[in-house]
Amino acid sequence: MGELRRDPITGRWVIIGTDNNGFKLEDYYSEPNIKGKGICPFCPGNEKMTPPEIIAHREGGGAPNSSGWLTRVVPNKFPALQVEGDLNKRGIGIYDMTNGVGAHEVIIDNPDHNKEIADLYDHDVERIIWTYRNRSVDLRGDRRFKYILIFKNYGKPAGASLEHPHSQLIALPIVPKRVREELQGAQKYYEYKERCVFCDIISQEIQDGSRIIAENKHFIALTPFVSCFPFEFWVMPKAHESDFSYIQREEVLNFASILRESLLRAKVTLRDPSYNFIIHTSPIEDMESEDYHWHLEFMPKLTRLAGFEWGSGFYINPVDPNVAAKYLREAKIN
Amino acid sequence: MPELRKDPIIGRWVIIATERAKRPDDFAVSHEEPAENHCPFCEGREEETPKEIFAFRKSNSPPNKADWDVRVIPSISPILRIEGDMNRHGVQMYDVMNGIGAHEIVVETPQHIANIADLSEEQIAKVLFTYIERITDLGRDLRFKYVLVFKNYGWSAGGGRVKHARSQLIATPVNPKRVKEELAGAKKYFEFKDRCIFCDLMHQELNSGERVIIDTDGMVALAPFASRFPFETWIMPKEHSSDFIKLKRNDVYALAKVMKQLLSKLKKALKDPPYNYILHTAPFRIPRKPGYWKTLDDDYHWHIEVIPRLTRVAGFEWGSGFYINPTPPEEAAKYLRELEV
Repeated sequence: MGELRRDPITGRWVIIGTDNNGFKLEDYYSEPNIKGKGICPFCPGNEKMTPPEIIAHREGGGAPNSSGWLTRVVPNKFPALQVEGDLNKRGIGIYDMTNGVGAHEVIIDNPDHNKEIADLYDHDVERIIWTYRNRSVDLRGDRRFKYILIFKNYGKPAGASLEHPHSQLIALPIVPKRVREELQGAQKYYEYKERCVFCDIISQEIQDGSRIIAENKHFIALTPFVSCFPFEFWVMPKAHESDFSYIQREEVLNFASILRESLLRAKVTLRDPSYNFIIHTSPIEDMESEDYHWHLEFMPKLTRLAGFEWGSGFYINPVDPNVAAKYLREAKIN
Repeated sequence: MPELRKDPIIGRWVIIATERAKRPDDFAVSHEEPAENHCPFCEGREEETPKEIFAFRKSNSPPNKADWDVRVIPSISPILRIEGDMNRHGVQMYDVMNGIGAHEIVVETPQHIANIADLSEEQIAKVLFTYIERITDLGRDLRFKYVLVFKNYGWSAGGGRVKHARSQLIATPVNPKRVKEELAGAKKYFEFKDRCIFCDLMHQELNSGERVIIDTDGMVALAPFASRFPFETWIMPKEHSSDFIKLKRNDVYALAKVMKQLLSKLKKALKDPPYNYILHTAPFRIPRKPGYWKTLDDDYHWHIEVIPRLTRVAGFEWGSGFYINPTPPEEAAKYLRELEV
């Protein structure tokens, strides 16, 4: 028999398959992500094919928009939001709208077309994390923006339109719904307990141990007790911190290391799955909040989108998070 | 300039990316379907399924034999089980209960037809009567709070390897999150305005007309202002009603007619796309606190949401609750409105 579990943060109930007798890891293996041929606008030498870069990391200098970079940030060629203009908030009868003002940037993770975060060295990943952090700090100065969303789509089924490893950043004039729900849930818990719900989850999970995938000095990676998706995992800083952009030097190193390790564990276990990850952080205005705790959520794209989950917000996850954690923890990585 | 639009009911913002507007042809790709398996749902194979729960039978034919129009059976792989107690309990800081519920399959036709759009209006009406019958019956079980009625059509919409038209019912011991949000949003609006937000929304849409797809005596089909997905469509009754199961006989036929028309338009416009539809209706009102559902009959309005599955962008939007829709709903509505079927 399955279980219904309630997310302690948002209050969402999820149906979780806890009858593990029928579990077969093979059922969750991914089709190989085959790389296509053709010219890649993100590869070194093709810098002219992208809009002019916003910033790039070049060891030993070099002119902007030339090759020789290690991480490069460019505006999205097909932005969902435009950076120029006013919000012009307005109503049309019953409806509310604003202009689609925001920033939409692409972070080209590294020059090598064939190396995802899982395949890099820690210090390469560190550079990517610094880039996330520096772009966040820069964009939070723009008063039109309320939230900075950093995410990665890897593989076509997860929505990636280009193969070359890249992440994206969207600065938004609103706070996304899922984030707002989390903020409200965390606030409610704090009002009741005077503790951060994420800190409570972390200390309980460390005590229990059965859902932990990896751990280092500053971070922990675990499959949430109320996972919405098979093999979903979260990476969380152990010390309370609401805002990702306040990450410190030593933490960047530890975050890079645990992220690379966890992604490699997923890659080995599930045979190179397509995935999304999203950094959940506090809105720009809520500085140093006591009740929220930034973290990264990783969701592999393994199951077909069961139709009614979209409409109902009711998730069905056939894989027990304890089983997922065990496989990820025990994956043979070098 | 792209626009951010706010869903007036639950307050979710959606980016309508006008700059990269996509037209129906951009989506009209062939949809991958795996090889089809043997079909146990066809008339004459009743012994291949679990025993039926309910059937519309042509004459007084016995259960689990041929000679039926619509047939309801338990799911072969149910995600919730009907037997047992809920046993709500805490596990350290977490809350858990047993996976109690019902999971039923509505076989919509005795013939091997895949898309409900290809059934007659009369047959679709029988499917709708079946929904009413089953929801009413499941509502007698006090363990259940809600019945989700939905359809997964096509492989990428979660459909199975057997392409025989059917929908599903899941009775749950808790209210689904999305439903709760809608109920809360509608209640808030009602407290403020003393009117149903769906009625207000519909009046405004009928006045402007730019997002209306089908307008009949009893029903409206429209593309919502803050559509999350290209060609997303809602069907709503014109007369205020919170509860689908109170639908009058005439309105069942009106709904069947609009569903047939709308789903045929989608089929033609988008070359038989995979889609989901979901019925949003009032929960079973077992009062937990006095006065808890007091205004629900006035503030909530049942409707059906139809979502063609055309874009891949999924995980990110699931994780953030933030949707980017490349097709302005006005364009989708105009296209569907003008398409002859």
